[in-house]
Amino acid sequence: MTATARPEELDGALSRLDGTGALARAGGTDLTACLAAGVLAPAPVVDLSGLDELRGVEWRPDGSARVGALTSVGELHTDPGLAGAYPALARTARELATPQVRTTATLGGNLLQRNRCWYLRNPAFDCFQTGGDSCPARGGDHLYGVVVDQGPCVAPHPSSLAVALLAHDATVLVADGRRTEMAVADLYDAADPTRDHVLEPGRVLVSVALPAPVPGERAAYRRATGRSRAEWPLVEAVARLAPADGGSGPVSSAAVAVGGVARTPLRLPEVEAALVGARPGSPLGTGVEEALEGLAGLCSPLPATGYKVDLLRATVRDVLERALDAPEA
Amino acid sequence: MNVRLNGSSSPTPDSPGTTAAEHIRDRLGLTGTKIACGTGVCGACTVLVDGAPTASCLLPAERLAGSSVTTVEGLGGDHPVQRAFAAHDALQCGYCTPGFVVEASAFADAWRAEHGDVRPDRERIADALSGHLCRCGAYEGIFAAVAAACAGEFDTEPDRDPPRADALDKVTGRARFSGDLAPEGTWEGVIVRSAHAHARVRSVHPGGARSETMPQPADGRPVFTDLLGEERLVRYVGQPIAAVAAPTAALARAAAEAVRVDYDPLPAVLDADEARSEDAPQVYTTRAQRRAAPSYGEAPTPPSSWRGNVHGPASTSWRGATAVRRLRRAGERDDPRLVAQEYSTAVQLHTPLEPHVCVASWERDGTLTLRVSTQTVAKVARKAAERWELPPEKVRVVSEYVGGGFGAKNGLSADVVAAAELSRLAHSPVRVSFDRAEELTDAGHRAATRTRVALLADRNGDLAAMSVDSHGDGGVAVGSTTATLAMLVYGRSPRRTRDFDVVTHRPPGQPMRAPGGAPLAWALEQAVDTMAGRLGEDPLSLRRRWDGNPKRRALYERVAALDLWRERPRGARTGRFRRGVGLASSNWLYLMGPKAQVELSVRDGGVVVRSATQDIGTGIRTVLGEVVADRLGVPASDLRVEIGDSSSVHGTGSFGSRTTTSMGPAAAEAADRLRAALREHEPRVPESGPVPEHALKDALAAAEGVRVVGERGRDRWGALSPDMDDLAVGRGMSGAVHVMEVEVDTLLGRVRPTRCWAGLAVGRVYSERLARNQCEGAVVQGVGYALFEERRHDPATGVVLTDNLEDYRIPGMGDVPETEVYFHQEGFEHAAGAGIGLGEVSVVGVAAAVANAVHDATGWRPHDLPIRPDRLIGGLR
Repeated sequence: MTATARPEELDGALSRLDGTGALARAGGTDLTACLAAGVLAPAPVVDLSGLDELRGVEWRPDGSARVGALTSVGELHTDPGLAGAYPALARTARELATPQVRTTATLGGNLLQRNRCWYLRNPAFDCFQTGGDSCPARGGDHLYGVVVDQGPCVAPHPSSLAVALLAHDATVLVADGRRTEMAVADLYDAADPTRDHVLEPGRVLVSVALPAPVPGERAAYRRATGRSRAEWPLVEAVARLAPADGGSGPVSSAAVAVGGVARTPLRLPEVEAALVGARPGSPLGTGVEEALEGLAGLCSPLPATGYKVDLLRATVRDVLERALDAPEA
Repeated sequence: MNVRLNGSSSPTPDSPGTTAAEHIRDRLGLTGTKIACGTGVCGACTVLVDGAPTASCLLPAERLAGSSVTTVEGLGGDHPVQRAFAAHDALQCGYCTPGFVVEASAFADAWRAEHGDVRPDRERIADALSGHLCRCGAYEGIFAAVAAACAGEFDTEPDRDPPRADALDKVTGRARFSGDLAPEGTWEGVIVRSAHAHARVRSVHPGGARSETMPQPADGRPVFTDLLGEERLVRYVGQPIAAVAAPTAALARAAAEAVRVDYDPLPAVLDADEARSEDAPQVYTTRAQRRAAPSYGEAPTPPSSWRGNVHGPASTSWRGATAVRRLRRAGERDDPRLVAQEYSTAVQLHTPLEPHVCVASWERDGTLTLRVSTQTVAKVARKAAERWELPPEKVRVVSEYVGGGFGAKNGLSADVVAAAELSRLAHSPVRVSFDRAEELTDAGHRAATRTRVALLADRNGDLAAMSVDSHGDGGVAVGSTTATLAMLVYGRSPRRTRDFDVVTHRPPGQPMRAPGGAPLAWALEQAVDTMAGRLGEDPLSLRRRWDGNPKRRALYERVAALDLWRERPRGARTGRFRRGVGLASSNWLYLMGPKAQVELSVRDGGVVVRSATQDIGTGIRTVLGEVVADRLGVPASDLRVEIGDSSSVHGTGSFGSRTTTSMGPAAAEAADRLRAALREHEPRVPESGPVPEHALKDALAAAEGVRVVGERGRDRWGALSPDMDDLAVGRGMSGAVHVMEVEVDTLLGRVRPTRCWAGLAVGRVYSERLARNQCEGAVVQGVGYALFEERRHDPATGVVLTDNLEDYRIPGMGDVPETEVYFHQEGFEHAAGAGIGLGEVSVVGVAAAVANAVHDATGWRPHDLPIRPDRLIGGLR
């Protein structure tokens, strides 16, 4: 059997992880499932839950926040300070997984979880992620696969919080021997089919930094699913709109990010640009409509994911209408 | 750091790699916590960790150190939520119940602290319980129970007993299911399964395991048994090849890994359409193989011919040539009164939350005891005696609580065979429990279908001809009856039905809750609605004209008066969210077990009710007690009901909607016999009517040891069929009408069923709340069939991809309509007990009603199940 260590100092954790093949565990919800499914081979576990450096929320004088990686997903939407300051993140957190999982799963673990591909999680198959040299989903059943095909792996990135944090231009603090700040966007590499994030073994995600809240921000999160709850999104979208005049004026800047469509969460710059000047309570307007139409150009569907072209447009439309309190088209 | 467990100190878990759920169950023996999905989806393993509901199957055991843990046992039994679950019958089989109760108790406590004694609405409750799944579909009761507990209605002990006799055992975790009953020293067994869809198995090497019998268990060395039989062929991925057992689960898994199977892979066909082509690889090549093909029909498959992988047709007709001629001519002249359509359904999996499990042990005297989760205690005992060549009294099958079945737990399944064989080798009890992947791969399913239906109306709008052709796609199994069932609906107009089976190298189907009925309704009830549209007629009015069945006509009368129907939206709907209302009719056979018996004995001054039937969640334990109590005029709480044990008198198997209608009359007859026997001991016992308490007490004291057996007895005018293995077809059919309201989100492609009215004509209802619960659950399963459920497999290898409860999607609390159940209780006065079964008829029309509602809302008619978002969006483009 494999041993578990529970260090109380980050450096101790790093030395146990560096080059040892040990697995880092935060909440353990995904790790436990991956070990059970054979996605990960049994290995010693380094339990990070005793590391105070990964805990808590630090508010800085400029209003920005540094949120510890061990913060539970649930706290992101139940903590009044966080939920008030970062409504887009809070709404995303509230809708993912189930209450039990949100209690245990962590912010860091959510960002670094493995994808949900049913080939990856089935011990009968090898794929790029488990040492194989092909993607069985690409020629197989990929109903829930990507619609933006950045090759060779076709599993969408599973982290809803990454979508929200991408819309926040958040950064993460990563520790190995030293501490490095990197953009959330840089955690993921669509071209690398062998893993779902770029952190080498032995590196630990310490915290997430969020810029100062935007007063009057209009935020929305939306996921398209078959069932009403507790289901991985077919497509998900986050919108953060900064209106002039503290809430009621036209949009002065926008951040829109989507998940479920590509190997990484994606920002939609054309849609964001078209939103500038949009007025709360009004229809989306021709510029935004054109940008939504243009989303098809972003897509390169697999044989079975053509429906996600429509669903991407529909989900973004929905999230924008919610954020703007716009009448439905 | 110790764990504070249910208020007491407990040692720290020290085995890495163990989950908290395993630790709680296996090390601490607290079996109220269930492991059902193993992936944090279903919530059956929920415990409170420092007050927070937590999926203990995803929590490493060592994480419990220093925390305070409350399991269902720790709630005591007096929590308002527990009382409310019992009082509102918020459960059926009870397997998911501990998890629901633990989470709901935390929710109710927090809700009341924040809001006071206020009822939360359905959305709020669905949010709170979104991490739980109930396959029986007891959600209506759960909504009611949680709301009532939050409102403070159960802060004190209710005056009345709960409607279900074993409710308190189920809400407290005291109910012990088969897998919970492994005695000390039980070994764990693991089945080794085929990795190929089609292969000749050259050899199977046991690894280090011992396959030969030994007089004594020499050591802890694993044991091995072959399960493949004489024909050394595998025909689907997941087919059992061998099984191993070892003293622990980890050692058993390692022993299974060590087994080496040498295959000669053969070409496989994994798709029903490809299987129909001439040059497709053949699943069965010899007559003997074809005869031995497993069947998912509930009745024996009629003999018919084979062509390649296609079996059939099994053809039935009534003026069939006339029907075919009329339909052909109508087609030639493009008659608008001809509706000819094709529909398909996906494979639906039973997936009871309690998996297949058997704990087998051979006693020193050669007795075989099987603690098994089964719908057929008596049949398992008989088959086991045959297989292991034992006299009947040397086999004992025990199945006190069964965590759902829906048709999948029937006979000597692989878990039973493996456990018994391995136990003999190991000289120890052996437990074989399917994990969720096994349960979702090779534990049976409702076959997929492709059905062509043609209806022709004449100038008066009457049904002039009908034909139904259906191809069943049940893997290596045959048994399609989808088309044949169309003989039994919509009068006696000319018709022809043809059932085909297409076999492929995929796992075998098994009977599932109204086999053939749900796929027929999916096609036929949509075609009938299409015809109504063609004729410019209201769908209800067309059915009232076409359907002569008096019981269903009574239900149509009710529908006509329903607000849900009368006030439904009319005309084309616009906007993103569109509401629609649809209905579907259905029927089902009246089946019964003529051999059913109930034994009553006087023991310790009380009455014990016994029979070898079993309660899979339907409530027969309750019904037996109530029938006897009513008949004697004594309180049901004075009786003890002991079922699920083959050592009792013959009890009926729980399939074919026949448990209650078979067992109920036998219980009544037993009660009458007991009354007569008591009168011999105590003349103050009256000939009829309630037995006065003092007279009963004296009579029972005097009659200690008296034993009587009641039989089911015949129906007036007898049955329609001879008794086939304790199964006969009775006179008359049950009927149902479902009215469904949905809201369609045309933007994101989601269908939300909002309200449902389920009208059932099944004669007298024995136990109203329990019957209603089962019908509400049928709506849940039907909604799953309509919208979410489909087994999917890898097209290259045949490996089932939806082998977990995340990818195989069953409805949660937030996915089901508010449901009202109505019983029309007349029409079965000729049947013993005057009431017949409802488990199957209650599910048949649900998916079709959803489809008709979707069409009503959007103008788009779904032809393929399930109605996924991608299909809806595509359909509305």
